[in-house]
Amino acid sequence: MSIHFKNVNYIYQQATPFEQQALFDISLTIPSGSYTAIIGHTGSGKSTLLQHLNGLLKPTSGQITIEKQIITPTTKNKALSSLRKQVGIVFQFPEAQLFEETVLKDIAFGPKNFGSSEQEATQLARQMAHLVNLPEELLEKSPFELSGGQMRRVAIAGILAMEPQVLVLDEPTAGLDPRGRAEIMEIFQALRIKQHLTIILVTHQMDDVARYANHVIVLEKGRLLASGTPTEIFSDPDWLRTHHLALPQATRFASALQKKSGFEFSKMPLTEEELANQLVQQLGKRG
Amino acid sequence: MEKIIEIADLTFHYPQQDSELLRQVNLTIHKGEWVALIGHNGSGKSTLARLIDGLLVPTTGTLKIGGTILSDASVWQIRKKIGMVFQNPDNQFVGANVEEDVAFGLENLAIPRAQMQVRVKEALQRVNMWEFREHEPARLSGGQKQRVALAGVIAMRPEIIILDEATSMLDPEGRKDVIKIIQELSQAGFTIISITHDINEASLAQRVVVLNDGQILQAATPQTVFARGEKLLAVGLDVPFSEKLKVALSRQGLHVPAGYLTEEGMIDWLCQSISKT
Ligand SMILES: Nc1ncnc2c1ncn2[C@@H]1O[C@H](COP(=O)(O)OP(=O)(O)OP(=O)(O)O)[C@@H](O)[C@H]1O
Ligand SMILES: Nc1ncnc2c1ncn2[C@@H]1O[C@H](COP(=O)(O)OP(=O)(O)OP(=O)(O)O)[C@@H](O)[C@H]1O
Ligand SMILES: [Mg+2]
Ligand SMILES: [Mg+2]
Repeated sequence: MSIHFKNVNYIYQQATPFEQQALFDISLTIPSGSYTAIIGHTGSGKSTLLQHLNGLLKPTSGQITIEKQIITPTTKNKALSSLRKQVGIVFQFPEAQLFEETVLKDIAFGPKNFGSSEQEATQLARQMAHLVNLPEELLEKSPFELSGGQMRRVAIAGILAMEPQVLVLDEPTAGLDPRGRAEIMEIFQALRIKQHLTIILVTHQMDDVARYANHVIVLEKGRLLASGTPTEIFSDPDWLRTHHLALPQATRFASALQKKSGFEFSKMPLTEEELANQLVQQLGKRG
Repeated sequence: MEKIIEIADLTFHYPQQDSELLRQVNLTIHKGEWVALIGHNGSGKSTLARLIDGLLVPTTGTLKIGGTILSDASVWQIRKKIGMVFQNPDNQFVGANVEEDVAFGLENLAIPRAQMQVRVKEALQRVNMWEFREHEPARLSGGQKQRVALAGVIAMRPEIIILDEATSMLDPEGRKDVIKIIQELSQAGFTIISITHDINEASLAQRVVVLNDGQILQAATPQTVFARGEKLLAVGLDVPFSEKLKVALSRQGLHVPAGYLTEEGMIDWLCQSISKT
């Protein structure tokens, strides 16, 4: 499903003394089947933008097109119910989306709500719990009596159980331990390849952007600052520094190494594998 | 050195669980020490933090804070010495706006109003959130919430500061900022326990305590713990980048040094290798 934003503005608490504009004239395209990363500072508008993708927030002005569905300031919620099945959002704080009595019921809620039978929904929930490595003994517990990382997994499993076509992830690995983080990122990647999902990921982990995304959108203070491939976005360390953005570790390392001379990188590496490749080539060529 | 936290033979069991979560935990933390508490998801880190803060009661064993045994009688006095940033900042906001929220912790400490205002302002400025002082905490972005939660603790200046993944939602620059704040607090003599999955944060602590399935597996300097190399993943930390690169290089058939190298060490080694070729 391809997604277009056209001149989107969003103002929180409009016409109150607390009014605050969070998005300014955003126009952008998220190609169908892409793995799009949205990066930017704290408060730059990433979560606000994501919540427009299933009409949880509606633009104050401008419009959003998701495949054939158009969302404008006056779109009614009723018109959005099919969209909410197709676009699944994992929120920044997992607690915000947990509410059932047990973990299993919580994960099964989505499919049940969208018409699966109790049995189908429960079976799917078990399958998804297993996929995200939730131990069996947690399934009958209250989702609020879990550790932070376990809650995160429940929230992710709940969205995966909806089998959405667009998977929207707001810092989905915050609070996961690094092994869990890698496992969950691989699960998303596998789903994208197998089921041709469109993935939209908000993250502060530039290594994940470098490894998984093929399209990057940079926000700054509610405005679109840049968009392009990870290679394009990470090609200019000085530009990134000016805008207080970080580099992937491999790129940062390569740039430090280049300064100490001896090595030259024609194309800045984005991952440790790319970096190792270029290092071995250069060491080999001279040797 | 003065002992500020003494945990002896502690076990803990959530009533809803069939088995003990924390087993035979013994740990002494000295005044002014910065300890990083690490461990995989569900290993018991937040539970241990809640026990130290007196929010949970041990099943067996004792906890002493500043020499006083934690009990029903002492808990209120002890809690004034401890400031905690919870894993989910939404669970700790009480004020209607950011400024009131940060001030709230001080009201319990009976600090004069004028001094309170100064402290609140300083703390909010320190985390770059002063301009948001009139905002409602619930209506902030994720990273902004974490900064405000930290300001609350900075303003309180408690003897013991516990940070439960207080940097998990910050952008890379914000994370560096907060790590710097922790460093400054540590140098100023505060005792700090930071629970984290971030290797950079852990590397700056004086001691890393590894919690594994409810037991303390290791308590040692960061260097000693990081010597686990790729096995760090099992205890909830990432492998340092220099180690990842070494693995990638040896997969390509390159001979790499056996011991642990820092990034600078790795750069030096690579520079030497290329000059030899
Ligand atoms: N519910 C709300 N009401 C009013 N203002 C809000 C609300 N949510 C966010 N804001 C404000 O809108 C701006 C953008 O917030 P948003 O949550 O989109 O940022 P973000 O890029 O996701 O940041 P982070 O990386 O910290 O999560 C911020 O200045 C924030 O204070
Ligand atoms: N309120 C509770 N009631 C019952 N069990 C709980 C409760 N809170 C946590 N647990 C369980 O205790 C274990 C340890 O949880 P804890 O929150 O201490 O882990 P943690 O090390 O902080 O993990 P994380 O890195 O995911 O935050 C988990 O298996 C969890 O399910
Ligand atoms: Mg956000
Ligand atoms: Mg925890």
